[in-house]
Amino acid sequence: MSMHLDDDQIEIIQEFVTESRDMIEQLEPAIIELGQNSDPETMNAIFRLFHSMKGSAGFLEFDHLTRVAHAAESLLDLIRNNEMELIPEHVTLFCAACDFSKDALDAVETSFSDDAMSADADKISQDLHQAIEGPAAGIDETERVDADTLQPPVSDEPDLVFPEMEITEEMRNSFVQESNELLQNAEQGLLAWGEHPEDSDSIGDIFRNIHSFKGNCGFFGFGHLEKLSHQMENVLDRVKSGSRLAVDNPTEQLLASLDLLQQGLNHIADGKEDFIEDLDSHLEDLKNLMTPLLGDLLAEEGVDKLAISSAVEIQKKPVGEILMQQGSASAEQVAKALKRQNESGEEAKAKAKPVSRSKVPAKRQDIRVELGKLDNLINLIGEMVIAENMLIHNPDLKGLELENFGKAAQHMSKLVRELQEMAMSIRMIPVSGLFRRMIRLVHDISVKAGKKVDLQLIGEETEIDKTVIETITDPLVHLLRNSLDHGLETPAERTANGKADKGTIKLSARHEEGEVWVTIEDDGRGLNRDKILEKAISKGLIEGDGSDLTEKQINNMIFAPGFSTAAQVTDISGRGVGMDVVKRNLEKIKGKIDITSKFGQGTRINLRIPLTLAIIDGMMVRVGTTTCIVPTLSILEAYRPEMEQITVTPDGDELARVREHFFPIVRLHQILDKKPDSEQLCEGILIVLEYQESRFCLFIDEILGQQQTVIKGLSDFIGNVPGVSGCTILGDGGVSLILDVGTLVESFDNKKVLADAAAIHKGGK
Amino acid sequence: MAEDLSLNGSGNEDTQKDKYLTFHLAGENYGIEICYVIEIIGIQSITEVPDMPDFIRGVINLRGKVIPVMDVRARFALPARDYDDRTCIIVINVDSTEVGLVVDEVSEVADIPENNVEPAPRTSKNSESSYIQGMGKMNKRVIILLDVHKLLFSGEMQCLTQTDNDEE
Repeated sequence: MSMHLDDDQIEIIQEFVTESRDMIEQLEPAIIELGQNSDPETMNAIFRLFHSMKGSAGFLEFDHLTRVAHAAESLLDLIRNNEMELIPEHVTLFCAACDFSKDALDAVETSFSDDAMSADADKISQDLHQAIEGPAAGIDETERVDADTLQPPVSDEPDLVFPEMEITEEMRNSFVQESNELLQNAEQGLLAWGEHPEDSDSIGDIFRNIHSFKGNCGFFGFGHLEKLSHQMENVLDRVKSGSRLAVDNPTEQLLASLDLLQQGLNHIADGKEDFIEDLDSHLEDLKNLMTPLLGDLLAEEGVDKLAISSAVEIQKKPVGEILMQQGSASAEQVAKALKRQNESGEEAKAKAKPVSRSKVPAKRQDIRVELGKLDNLINLIGEMVIAENMLIHNPDLKGLELENFGKAAQHMSKLVRELQEMAMSIRMIPVSGLFRRMIRLVHDISVKAGKKVDLQLIGEETEIDKTVIETITDPLVHLLRNSLDHGLETPAERTANGKADKGTIKLSARHEEGEVWVTIEDDGRGLNRDKILEKAISKGLIEGDGSDLTEKQINNMIFAPGFSTAAQVTDISGRGVGMDVVKRNLEKIKGKIDITSKFGQGTRINLRIPLTLAIIDGMMVRVGTTTCIVPTLSILEAYRPEMEQITVTPDGDELARVREHFFPIVRLHQILDKKPDSEQLCEGILIVLEYQESRFCLFIDEILGQQQTVIKGLSDFIGNVPGVSGCTILGDGGVSLILDVGTLVESFDNKKVLADAAAIHKGGK
Repeated sequence: MAEDLSLNGSGNEDTQKDKYLTFHLAGENYGIEICYVIEIIGIQSITEVPDMPDFIRGVINLRGKVIPVMDVRARFALPARDYDDRTCIIVINVDSTEVGLVVDEVSEVADIPENNVEPAPRTSKNSESSYIQGMGKMNKRVIILLDVHKLLFSGEMQCLTQTDNDEE
C-alpha cells in the first residue's frame, strides 16, 4: 500500500485523516477532564479514540502513528484497570500524544506517509513507555509494544466491551453516521463486485468496510449487528481467498444481509436496542453459503491432519488426488468426501434461497461540501432576492391590473424567502466545536500560570454562522487568556480574599435580541479602575483626571491597542495586543462588546454578534431625493418633534428631549451633503437610534417603509466610508446606502467641523 | 443598452494585443487597453457615497454587482459637463477591482501597433500626465493612452486606500 497509491487508497487515507481529526478534537476535552474526574465513561471514550486510531493507522501502515496510539492505549488500559494511579503527568502525556497525532495526520495528508514523524514518535512512545513501566513493572509481556505485531482491532475486541459502559447520545449519533457510511460503501462495493466478480479489489474494499463496521458494533456492544457482520466477514473472507461458495455469486445474499444491518442501525438511530429479527436464521443462511472445507471433511473421514495441511500447501491439483498419491487417503475416502462436498453444496444451494431485498432508507446522511460552493450558493440566492424584487416591483408593471401575476409573484416571494432561510441555516454550525477547543487552551494556560480553574460551557448547541465562528475564535482565545492570566488570582490569593481556591470561568452562548451573545465570565479580581485610568492618562488617551468618565468608558479603554495594565509581560499575555484583536475582529462582523466588571468580584465580557452577515431588516428613509437604509435593530422609536422639545446649546449642538432624556440630533442631510425637503426639525422625522450605550436622534424627511435587505459591500476601491456600512440594491435596481449607526455620530461631527468652523467640536458621545 | 464586448483580461491575449478602446473627453481622444475593458453601458443613476473625492461619483448597480464610478473629467480636473445620452460608463477590471469610468463619448476599438506609440511626454508641471502610458499615433490623430493602474490607484485614490489600511 505504501508504494503506489491509487485514487481509492488516497480517498481511504483522507477519510482516515478527517475521521481521526474529528475524534481527536472531540476527545481532547475529555482527556483534560481525566485530570479532574476519571469516570469510566470518559476513560473508555479516550481508550476508543486511541484504539480505533491505532486500528486504522495499522491497517493503512502508518507505523509511527500506530506505535504512539498503541502506547497511549496501553497506558490508559493500566489506568483503567486500576493498576496504576492517574497522575497529572499522564494527562500531559496524552495531550502530547494527541498533538503528535495531529501533526502526524497533517503529514499523512500531505505526503501519505508518516515517516517524517519517526523521531517524534520515538520520543513520545518512549515517554509513554516510561510511564507504563515506571510504577507497574510487572505487566504482562503481551502488553509490551511491538509495532510489527499490531493488527487491526479484531483480536482484542472482547476485552473492549464493557457491560457498564454508558453510551451517550453523541456517541450513538456519530456511530450511526459512520456506520451508515460504511454500509453504503460496502453496498456499492458489493454491487460493483456483483458485476465484475473477477475484480478482487472490490472484495477487499467490502471486507474492510464490513470489518470496520463489525469493530464499531463491538465497541458499542451491539451484539446482533456484530454477529451478522462477523458472519458476512467470514463469507467475504472465503471469497477473498478464492474458495468456492455454495452459489456462484453470493451478492444477493450479502446485499440482503446489508439491508438487515441497515435496519438494525436504524433501530439504534431511533434510540432502541440493537435488534435483528430472525438473526439466527439469517446467520444460518450465510453459513450455508460456505461449503464446508474439503480438508475438514477429510479429517472427519480419518485422514491425518498434517498431511492435509501439507497437501493444501501444494494445492495445484485437486486435493483428493494428491492425498491419494501420497497414500494418505484411499480413493474410496476421497470419492466419499467429494460426494459429500457436492451434496452439501446442493443442500446449501437449496437452503440459500433467493432473498427478496427490501430497500431500507438510511435515517440521516451528511455530506461534506466545499465551503466555496456553499458561499456561491448563498451569493446566488442573495442575487435572486434582488432579482425577485426587481421583477415584482418592476416599474413597467405600475398601474396594471394583474391579478394572476400578483398571485404568482406572491408564491414566488414565499419560495424565495424559504430558500433564503434554508441557505442561511446551512451555514450555521453549533459553537460546541469552538468551545471544546477552549478546554484544551484553558487547561494548558492554567497549568502554566499555576492557577486552578473550572471552565463551564453553557449553550454549546447554539448555532452561529460558520464565518462568525472563525472570526470569533481568536478573540475568544485572547479573552480567555486574559481572564486566566489577569482575571483569576492565584489559589493563595483567592483563599486570602475569602474565595474558593478554584476559579470559575463560564463560557456561554445564547440567542438574545436577534443576536448571538457569547459571554465570558470569570470570578477573578475584576478590572481595576484606578490602574486603567492611570495607564490611560500616562498614555495620553484621555485628558484630565478621568473623573468625568463613566464606568463603561473606562472599561472600554482596555481595547485600545498597546494598552496593558499588566506590570509584567508573561508568555501568555500582557503585551496589550489581544484586546485590540478582539475589538477589530468583532468590528469585522459588526459585533459589539460589553464589559461589566466589579472590582474584586470578577469580569463579564459579552460579545454580541448579529445572527447573519448577509441580510438585515432595514428601515428605508428618505432625505431629499436620496433613500438610505437604517438597520431596524438599532431603531428605538421615531417621531415628529415639536419645537419645544428641541434645545440648542450655546455650542450650536441641537438636543431633542425624549421624555426624561436629551439626545443629540444628527442631521442626515448634512452627512450625505444633500438638500432636504426642509431644514426645520419640526417638519421632518427624528429616529432615535441606539449604538452600544449611546443614543442619538437622526433627522430625516420621511420613513418610506421596512424591508429585508441583502447587504453588499461597497467596493474595495472605495474602502471604508464613515457612517456607511454597505449598500443594497433596491427593487427598482437603484443602489441605496446602509447607514452604520456606530460611525454616524463621528461622521456627523467631522462634517460639522468642516461645515462650521465656529461650532465647537463636542457633539453627542 | 449594454453592449457587451465580452472581452475579459483572461481572454485571448493575441487578439487583444495592441487594441485600445478609444473615447472622447473634452475634445481629446483617449485610449485604454482593451484587455481591461469588461463592457460599456449608458449612463445610469449613480448613488452618491459621502466622504469621497469629487471624481468618485458614487456607486451603480451592474446586474447585482455594486461598482464604484469615477468621473474621468473630474479625475483630470477638467471642467465639469452635464451628462447626456452620449455619456457612457466604461466598466474596467484592473487587478480584479471593477470600476466604471464616466467618459463623454466612446468612439471605437482602434489598433495601434507598438511602434506607433510614443513615450509619454515628461511635463513636470502637469501632474495629470503621470496617468499617461504613451501617445498613440493613428493616421493624423493622436490618442492619449492611459495607464489604468495609475488612473485608478495613484494620487488621491492612493491616500484614500492608505488611510483605510491604517484604520484596519
